[in-house]
Amino acid sequence: MATLQQQIAEKFLGKLAESEDVDDATIKQLRILLADGKKLKADDLVKVFGQSAGGDLK
Amino acid sequence: MIKLESAHIEEVRGIRKLDLIFNKEKFAISGPNGSGKSGVIDAIEFGLTGHIGRLTGKGTKGLSVSEHGPHVDKTKFPDAAFVILRVFLTGLGKSVTITRKLTSPNKPKIEPADEDVKAVLAEFADHPEITLSRREILRFILVEPTTRSEEIQTILKLDEIGQTRSALNTAQNKLQSAHKTTTAQVDAARSSLQLHLQIAPLRAEELLEAVNKRRTVLDLSAIAELTADTKLDTGLLSTVKAFDFNKESALRDLKALAGAREGFPDFARTEATAVIADLARLEADPALLRALQRRSFIEKGLDFVDGPECPLCDTPWQNEQHLRDHLKMKLAKSEEAKQLQQSLLSNGLAIAEQAIRVASLLTPVQKLADARGEILFAQVLAAWKAELEALETKLATVDGITGLTDRLKGDWLEMPKAFPQQLKALTSKLEALPDQAATLDAQTFLTTAQLRLVDYREAMRKNEAANIALTVAKAAHETYCAVLEGELNTLYEEVQQDFSTFYRAINEEDESTFTAKLTPSEGSLGLEVNFYERGLFPPAAYHSEGHQDGMGVCLYLALMKRLFGGQFTFALLDDVVMSVDAGHRYQFCKLLKTYFPDTQFIITTHDRLWAEQMKSAGLVTAKTSIAFHSWTIDTGPLVESNLEIWDEIGAALGKGKVEAAAAALRHHLEYVSRHLADQIGASPQFRADGNYELGELLPSVLKRMKELCGKAADAAQSWGKDADKDTAGKRKTVLSTSNAAMSVEQWAVNKAVHYNEWANFGKKDFEPVVAAFKELLRCFSCETCESWLYVTPHGNPESLRCACNAINLNLKQKPK
Repeated sequence: MATLQQQIAEKFLGKLAESEDVDDATIKQLRILLADGKKLKADDLVKVFGQSAGGDLK
Repeated sequence: MIKLESAHIEEVRGIRKLDLIFNKEKFAISGPNGSGKSGVIDAIEFGLTGHIGRLTGKGTKGLSVSEHGPHVDKTKFPDAAFVILRVFLTGLGKSVTITRKLTSPNKPKIEPADEDVKAVLAEFADHPEITLSRREILRFILVEPTTRSEEIQTILKLDEIGQTRSALNTAQNKLQSAHKTTTAQVDAARSSLQLHLQIAPLRAEELLEAVNKRRTVLDLSAIAELTADTKLDTGLLSTVKAFDFNKESALRDLKALAGAREGFPDFARTEATAVIADLARLEADPALLRALQRRSFIEKGLDFVDGPECPLCDTPWQNEQHLRDHLKMKLAKSEEAKQLQQSLLSNGLAIAEQAIRVASLLTPVQKLADARGEILFAQVLAAWKAELEALETKLATVDGITGLTDRLKGDWLEMPKAFPQQLKALTSKLEALPDQAATLDAQTFLTTAQLRLVDYREAMRKNEAANIALTVAKAAHETYCAVLEGELNTLYEEVQQDFSTFYRAINEEDESTFTAKLTPSEGSLGLEVNFYERGLFPPAAYHSEGHQDGMGVCLYLALMKRLFGGQFTFALLDDVVMSVDAGHRYQFCKLLKTYFPDTQFIITTHDRLWAEQMKSAGLVTAKTSIAFHSWTIDTGPLVESNLEIWDEIGAALGKGKVEAAAAALRHHLEYVSRHLADQIGASPQFRADGNYELGELLPSVLKRMKELCGKAADAAQSWGKDADKDTAGKRKTVLSTSNAAMSVEQWAVNKAVHYNEWANFGKKDFEPVVAAFKELLRCFSCETCESWLYVTPHGNPESLRCACNAINLNLKQKPK
């Protein structure tokens, strides 16, 4: 049985994939972060979002 | 997920040694307060999860499983304290044994230690909410909406979701700050380019016009279109490019810096004043300062939590969740500090933007000084720039800002003392130089323009990247919040429906139209309940405390159903059923049987009557229930069992301990007579305090049962059911003729005859008394299922029955 967290994560990624602002590579990275089992860290997210811009933000 | 087959408990809490067989069935444990029931719950909870809920949480400071889990006489020998559970894993179809010692709660011995077994048990151990105690019930009902939201979010394990949302929000905020910084850098680079080109606004046509004017002087072809690859100085020889500066442009840079210098004292003065005021508040309020420092410290700590050990002080916690809750509670207490934190960071960012602006004005002048051999001035400017960049970093954190009090009070830019003089000197030197030849002016104009265009493009690229990252972060945060809200609304709707259904099931007689409404909003969860169709009100507005307790149990069951779904197979209800008032107990049993047929509830109650009602209602049987009659520190719980009471009395008599046997018999009769008085509707003389003596209850019970047997015999005859007539008649005869019955009759007429005299009997005198009461009590129970008989319906009985229906005597005669 999928947990509530998993259900929300799946729907979140699905909805995000429909957004024009977010590319596939970002969705893929987010999926990895969410499936990792560890607590999400803001700095990890900043890296992912920064990479989606092709930039070098850290 | 799991069901309990058996438990062996040694030296845990108040228990010395105890074996219990659960057989994966619903199970009831009854006994007076202090008889050791909760000790069993503690031991089972410990065996399954490694934790004991009663020793953790609010109001348990100074208590711990390792110190206070073992029996008080074994605190120096905690190795003697352990629990062995035989558990059936429903999903895997396997039975496993868990041995857990109080000395090593996190290292259970599991047999077989298969990976799938360990995974299931580990997941289960992460659910402390399998245990619900009476004192916890009202945490769902009589609390502020914000607290209820936290309680329910905890039980539904929504903290992880909240953590994800919080991380997305923090990432968005960080990227917002990064975007503001890059925007300031773009502004500075644009100003620098415009200053050099002497155009405003910065448009391609104007830019090309200024550039082509110089290119014409140099006989270079005009640039028709400005593209991403366009080089303004294309065509210039590399030796020409080595020329150091353009005099006119350099003078403009110097002038711009000098002009800006006039305004330095006012740069970000409003924001700096606000920061000083905030810092003064902190200085005047040490508690606020501590809260702010702690907040910053805890926020960092929360980021690093990754297990049950505190990353700040290495203190081991029961589990990661306890640690996180503790840290979050501390953060929640510092709301004032939070507002101050936001104010400091916002003003800090504004000041940093001004620092970036000044640094951008210093850059060309530093290059110029360097090129003109003004090494000292170049070094001063380089050091100042580095200082401003360091300041920018400090202004990004509260810790950094709190160290800037003195600096922000005055010249926070910390302009070097020699700077005005050196600037003036360099300007004079430059002005004294002869004007550059037209070709040199054009060449240096183009090279400088190209350098500044590159800087501007780079700043734009970074800003665009920051903007894209921020856009994605915003989309992610907003999408997550929307999905979360939708899912939680669905979840709360389901919980609301189940809660209403369960509550109606318990109170079907008087609140069959009951409904409830859960209203989630940001950080809170409102609860209103219908009161006799007069509208929705808070639970405590009109409902009695008993009803509020009932709501607590129903909300708990609704939440557990949602949390576990079809895997809600096990729960420990410690004295929770006492919350259900006497008039609704059968319905409560029905609720558990009907809606949770596959859930094994281990239920404790200090009301022995309640325990018997659970049997009568078929929720448990004699084999799946146990009663403690008392407890001593040396023995632990003393088990009273209908099945074994006569063996215990016999054993006491065998040892010549008449006093102990008499006490056991008396105790048993007190309990049975009280229970039967309720079960069959006896009518002892009413006592307002409910404190009935055995001598008052037992005669009325005897009289009532004879009356019922008589009615049953008459009814059977009217329907022509000879077998039923015979059964009822025989019971009535035994009730009338047994020696015990004669003694009971004597109590009724002669109060001088008292059971206390039994203690003075000899063994031979007392054995017939025991035999007589054993025979008498058989008339009140079923030989097949061993449950006590009861009448139904309670007020106006139509039949006399047992739990298994082997006895079902009609009390209503055939109409004539």
